[in-house]
Amino acid sequence: MPSSREIPGAPAGADTARAGSVRLDHVTHRYGRSGETFTAVGPVDLTVPAGEFLVLVGASGCGKSTLLRLIAGFERPTHGSVRVCGAEPRPGVTAGVVFQTPRLFPWRTVGGNIDLALRYARVERARWPERRAELLARVGLEGTGKRRVWEISGGQRQRVAIARALAAENPLLLLDEPFAALDALTRERLQEDLRRETDRTGRTAVFVTHSADEAVFLGSRVVVLTRSPGTVALDLPVPLPRGDVDAERLRACEEFAELRARVSHAVKAAAAA
Amino acid sequence: MSTTSASLEPTAPADVPPGPRTPGRGAWARARRAALPFGSLVVFLVLWELLAASGTWSATLVPPPAAVWDAFLDVSTTHDGMRGYNGTTLVEHLGISLRRIALGAGIGIAAGVVFGLLMGTAGWLRSLFEPWITFLRTLPPLAYFSLLVIWLGIEEEPKVTLLAVAAFPPVAVSTTTAVTAVPKSLIEAARALGASRWGVIRDAVVPAALPETLTGVRLAVGVAYSSLVAAELVNGLPGIGGMVKDAANYNNTPVVLVGIIAIGVSGLVIDGLLLRLERVAVPWRGRA
Repeated sequence: MPSSREIPGAPAGADTARAGSVRLDHVTHRYGRSGETFTAVGPVDLTVPAGEFLVLVGASGCGKSTLLRLIAGFERPTHGSVRVCGAEPRPGVTAGVVFQTPRLFPWRTVGGNIDLALRYARVERARWPERRAELLARVGLEGTGKRRVWEISGGQRQRVAIARALAAENPLLLLDEPFAALDALTRERLQEDLRRETDRTGRTAVFVTHSADEAVFLGSRVVVLTRSPGTVALDLPVPLPRGDVDAERLRACEEFAELRARVSHAVKAAAAA
Repeated sequence: MSTTSASLEPTAPADVPPGPRTPGRGAWARARRAALPFGSLVVFLVLWELLAASGTWSATLVPPPAAVWDAFLDVSTTHDGMRGYNGTTLVEHLGISLRRIALGAGIGIAAGVVFGLLMGTAGWLRSLFEPWITFLRTLPPLAYFSLLVIWLGIEEEPKVTLLAVAAFPPVAVSTTTAVTAVPKSLIEAARALGASRWGVIRDAVVPAALPETLTGVRLAVGVAYSSLVAAELVNGLPGIGGMVKDAANYNNTPVVLVGIIAIGVSGLVIDGLLLRLERVAVPWRGRA
């Protein structure tokens, strides 16, 4: 997988410095200032090896989005350290981010939104048309480059947001409930596409959701968080086949149902605790 | 994903774009929209004519529409060896005034946008400048015009400066508001692509603030327009405001009315052009 950026200050050779790996050491995060503070997350210790698809599950307000923001580098943890490829995370440099809503720039066309991402990824301007077409094709939006963002559907907008996050080719992809606002049919299709995309490129992914179903389908590992402050309640490997698999049969298999039930149970127990 | 793109074609009903908006509301509604303003104009002219003909006031105070029309023709052409009003035709008066507005309001708008961006992005700058701008905004242009004449003389400088000072506050205020109201989500989206502080301002803050800034520009041009007669109070000839002022000195009410109508109509045209510009420049307004 081509990486268009060097990760600054990443020590070479160390295992935790491998492209896309994430390491959280005793991470705690508090909101608010002296007097009224609220602990959102922690303490959490978590290591995500390169190439893993980790899904963070938990009820609303368990701090899973906060954890993702810490990994993205939007915020610094109050205590502990976050390392991506062995270095301090920097938004847009160490990871691509997909938010709950597409957050496209309405003054730019679909293609223009991708172009902006390519510019920040320091891709040569001459290569933009080719890369733009390739990225749009990867999310199933061939030929929509000239469309205005309000002319396409909600599902298509989220696809553009994914393409935009893929543009920099950073080894890590962070997704914060990106499909929560979509209808069930669109959601399933996007889940299948995302699973295939990350398997194909070997990209590391951290995905936040409150759905046990989504977690088991997407993840190669599922971590359930307790209610705030969020700590790890269950750390479950998902040994389902990956790569080019029949999504329908996967969703229907017995093992899938069993894993989903375990995750669902853990989420409910964590929320009640 | 490319290997299976066929299955990803957005053909499912859940993933198709929304359909086109419903067409216009019919010919009747359109005709009514055009007829109403025109009808009100006709009614106004008839009432004016009746009022003038009733003889309640002298023709000096309320000249009939025909007299104003004659004055319009007089100041627009050369007649009895006199060219327009005071040697300058109406169009030329208007053109000179428009140039002053373009220059003055242009400077005021440019300064307003710069100040608005600075005040919107840095809180301490806002605290520093906002009281001054509010103070300036509440002052009627006439209040500082005399001062400008003392400082800058009676040529172009005080006129252009007055228009700039009048146009500055609305743009500064609306740009500040627009910048502070830029959704955090878009700023974060730009940061998520790797944008620096400057990159965030260029690629997220400025375009997101553009619609409201343009509203401020329209407001500023309006304020500059309404300050025109004040700006041309001293040595305003040639200039449409100067023409109004000069004609008033001679109780030449028809020419005063011609000047007022010319200012009003040109103001409407310019506002219409700005509105069109706004639509072209910010087509996403109200959509996303």
